Amino acid sequence: MSAAGVRADHSFFWRKLHSFSGIFPVGAFLAEHFWSNSYALVSVAKYNEASRELQTIPWRIFVEAGAIWLPILYHGGYGVYVWWKGKSNVSQYPWVGNWMYLLQRWSGLIAFVFIGWHVYTERFLTQGKSTFADVDKALANPWYFGFYLLGIVAASFHLGSGLWNFLCKWGLAATSRSQRAAGYLGAVVAVVFSVVGVAIALSIRYHWRPFEFYVQ
Amino acid sequence: MAEKKSVIVRVRRQAGPNERPHWEEFELASRPHMNVIICLRDIAERPITRDGKATSPITYDSNCLEEVCGSCAMVINGKARMACSALVDSLTQPIRIEPMTKFPVVRDLSVDRGVMFENLKRMRAWVPIDGTHNLGEGPRMSPDTQAKAYPLSRCITCGMCLEVCPQVNDNNQFIGAAIISQVRLFNLHPTGAMHARERLEAVMGPGGVADCANAQNCVQICPKQIPLTESIAEVNRQSIKQALLGWLFG
Repeated sequence: MSAAGVRADHSFFWRKLHSFSGIFPVGAFLAEHFWSNSYALVSVAKYNEASRELQTIPWRIFVEAGAIWLPILYHGGYGVYVWWKGKSNVSQYPWVGNWMYLLQRWSGLIAFVFIGWHVYTERFLTQGKSTFADVDKALANPWYFGFYLLGIVAASFHLGSGLWNFLCKWGLAATSRSQRAAGYLGAVVAVVFSVVGVAIALSIRYHWRPFEFYVQ
Repeated sequence: MAEKKSVIVRVRRQAGPNERPHWEEFELASRPHMNVIICLRDIAERPITRDGKATSPITYDSNCLEEVCGSCAMVINGKARMACSALVDSLTQPIRIEPMTKFPVVRDLSVDRGVMFENLKRMRAWVPIDGTHNLGEGPRMSPDTQAKAYPLSRCITCGMCLEVCPQVNDNNQFIGAAIISQVRLFNLHPTGAMHARERLEAVMGPGGVADCANAQNCVQICPKQIPLTESIAEVNRQSIKQALLGWLFG
């Protein structure tokens, strides 16, 4: 924190890109991912149909790498660097914003580890042809199921809180009133994503299909 | 006659910038409406520790004693505070008094806040009007702008916003909320606005506004109630605009 010896860098660009990439494409992909997986709440056939649809898009490997893997790797990797650049002091100053600061770091780390394991098991071990049966088998393990629930809630919280951060850091919410509104928006996003994500996990594990009457 | 009450004060002392810190405890006679500065003055009058050892008066900065000069910021019972407005009656005893942790200690409770001045210079946080000839009157400032600028102008550079900020530490060159708020203040000034781009380019540099991580501790601690998080978001807005459109349109 010294003023002397300051060298020019590109941290402004990388930092703002980090904030933006969490919303688009990473957050947008989470929305898409929860949407497609919500077919589990309708029927196994619809779920497999939706999966097959996504697994056979043209240029698939490029779309996956460019729009999903690289942005998540960048967002997670740079996020760890950002964590290292801060020193939490929540025990000394236990204000809500300061707690959010700490939780944003932990939820990001949990989500990042979970996503790494999730992509490895469900994308690579299945050679990109994962079906309902594969996920069903994984979630039958209570430890895996618990890790899924933790990962889903962590990612949802991280997105909601990150949306609030993004709106402040890009100056789109620049008054305390709009920052409070952005906070409520973030809270709604976190709750909605958590509820939908947990519902999907429950649906697959317990074969609970509240929307099955659509296809009956 | 009422029973005489006493005040127990523990002070973290340090003889010089590179000396090892140690604690000294003092017992003072309680007086009505006592604040922490009065405690330090009483110690200076009779510099004897609680266990009877003679010591030196404690070095500290203070001046106005009414929360407008910003010099007496220190860590009292674990929290950054202005010592002049920290009333003994409202503090749990023993009262622990430490120097701020984000600045180099000069001696005892006195810290060197020079980094803030250096960063104000780096951000060009002033209105340049010096020249070889009279530049005439500047543009008028609207009452609306005055109302926005006045709260920002109350900053006393006490450094408490840096003290409580998790982003200000040895791993980070972050300049802190006070400095960013001054960038906003001088960009708001009709004459200062003529150099807005220079300030934005400086604040987009190392340790600049992008290093804020939105913990919002600064706005909680600020003794002058400056809307620091609004200032940071506003400087974010201006610098994002400069970054996105500046390279296209200059």
